[in-house]
Amino acid sequence: MTDAPDLAHEKALERARELDDDENLQRSISGRLLFFYVLGDVLGSGIYVLIGAVAAAVGGAFWMAFLAGVTVATLTGLAYAELVTKHPQAAGAALYVSKAFRNPFLTFLVTICMLSATFAAAGSLATGFSSYFAQVWELPPPLLISVIFIAALAVVNFIGITESVIANMVMTFVEVAGLAVVVLIGIVYVSRGEADFSVLLEFDTDGSPIFAVVAGVALAFFAMTGFENAANVAEETIDPARNFPRALIGGMVGAGIIYVIVAMTAALTVPIDTLASSDAALLEVIKADIIPVPVGVMTTIFAIVAMVAITNTTLVALVTQSRILYGMAREDVVPGFFAKVHAARRSPWVALVFSALVVTTLLVVGHTLDAAGIGGSSGVVERLATVTVVFTLFIYALVIVAAFVLRRDERPPDSFRAPTPLLVIGVVGNLALLVYVVVDDPTSLFWCAGLLALGLVLYTVEKLVGRTGETTPPPGRAPTGSARDEEEEL
Amino acid sequence: MHVVIATDGSKQSLAAAKHLRSLAAPEAISDVTVLAVVRPLAAVSFVDELSGPRRKDAGSPSSVASFRDAAKASIEVIADVFAGWGPKVHKKIRSGSPANEIIKAAEQLDAGLVVVASGGRGLSDRVMLGSTAQRVQQYAPCPVLVVRPAPSRKK
Repeated sequence: MTDAPDLAHEKALERARELDDDENLQRSISGRLLFFYVLGDVLGSGIYVLIGAVAAAVGGAFWMAFLAGVTVATLTGLAYAELVTKHPQAAGAALYVSKAFRNPFLTFLVTICMLSATFAAAGSLATGFSSYFAQVWELPPPLLISVIFIAALAVVNFIGITESVIANMVMTFVEVAGLAVVVLIGIVYVSRGEADFSVLLEFDTDGSPIFAVVAGVALAFFAMTGFENAANVAEETIDPARNFPRALIGGMVGAGIIYVIVAMTAALTVPIDTLASSDAALLEVIKADIIPVPVGVMTTIFAIVAMVAITNTTLVALVTQSRILYGMAREDVVPGFFAKVHAARRSPWVALVFSALVVTTLLVVGHTLDAAGIGGSSGVVERLATVTVVFTLFIYALVIVAAFVLRRDERPPDSFRAPTPLLVIGVVGNLALLVYVVVDDPTSLFWCAGLLALGLVLYTVEKLVGRTGETTPPPGRAPTGSARDEEEEL
Repeated sequence: MHVVIATDGSKQSLAAAKHLRSLAAPEAISDVTVLAVVRPLAAVSFVDELSGPRRKDAGSPSSVASFRDAAKASIEVIADVFAGWGPKVHKKIRSGSPANEIIKAAEQLDAGLVVVASGGRGLSDRVMLGSTAQRVQQYAPCPVLVVRPAPSRKK
């Protein structure tokens, strides 16, 4: 062993660092990574899937709906940022509500709502995916593509490819690049002087413009959901008090700016009717043939970009689902087998399979109702997006209230504190939208009730079956009997 | 010699630690570092199957919300294996991809041996290559002890 002085010095340093490490443990998510995580997660969800529906609801001024949706969501993001810096754990809304209200039923309700929201979101995204897929290859039925998509992502999650930080960054860059192309088209179009800006102030309803915008906001809001999943990595964020608020709000504002510009571009370059009737509305901007690249090539490339974006967001939704189920099983709220983890892969395979089955069921039911003409005029994408929005609006409003309640606790020295007036506006905004969505589309409540009932069934099963395991007091509590046996064997 | 023992919270990793203690001479080992890697973007970041029944603090999800706490609990169990054995025991948590972080830790600590458990038995282990143990033994800067599960157990 060479004892060069610099080596000895390095070792001493390492030793000091190690001591430090033992207390202040090494983390891997930097502020920049978190920013891209948020941006990628948010960007994928809405704009590719729902821009047509929002345009149909509002008219040429539909960018205002995106602006309003982004604003309300970002105000909610402030509350999340405050709470995460106080409780940097990977549980999100359920944890905050539990700490604030100490009411097990409310905590259970919020957890089930979160779970249901991600189920519906994944269903909506999978349907959006199949629409873009059809642009590349039209032959397979969309429902089949959606189901295969969900199954494939479950497998990907099981193997653990999602863990690659680099893969995440690449997907986010692809998403941003796709939207940059749209913006570029807009710039070219405007610079040619062909744009008719009066479109941006056109409303598509007879009534008040405010109602038109609100109608679109509900759907535009879906475009912003997903940011709360940043709580998944809160625990692994370096210096969360500083990095988390910046990355979260930065990511949301960044996504919001992109959304508004993209929405304006779409309104300027494509007739609103065309946008409204298209399944893959952003492709219409490409098809408008404004930049000198063959439309066929561009369409294919852009469809792939859109699919990447949707995939990124759906993956995060699936991770969140299996995490919530796993956590609930560990807490004995749902049957213990949801906490089963594969021996080699360390993935909660039961939770993953179950989640995929629920999403598939949603898709099949949605398509069946659609085919039968029941369930209103809106398609599966809008229907499930609305369901997601109902759940998330409820959760978001509750989280902001929880942020207020938790201010009674002593404030950690370096925590982030959101401006109170903005949070008040956030609560009002979320609740107003919630009331509007429910009044406007009461059928979405059936879907919500269905998903909540599923949670209740799982809870009941746990209470009936799980009892048997609890007859013996601790330390007789174990998730499964077999696990306990093995432990004693060792 | 500095030995790094990696744990993923599995019982197999506990068996690996016990295996090391049974075969190695404590005089030859100066330090043992018990290392757990938390995977931030995975469906479940860390699964602790070692520390037994959890302490339950009345309805609060915080006990599972913290994957770091789960990792710490597993590390404690593994560290207990080496209590009173001789070498100094260190505890470390890293975050990222398990194989990468184990290798980085081995390099930083100038480890003379890395001990890892090789996951499950059965089909999935054979079909899906590229597991943590495999990558560690390919790229580690030092010898690697891979502890395989016993061939068969009672049902």
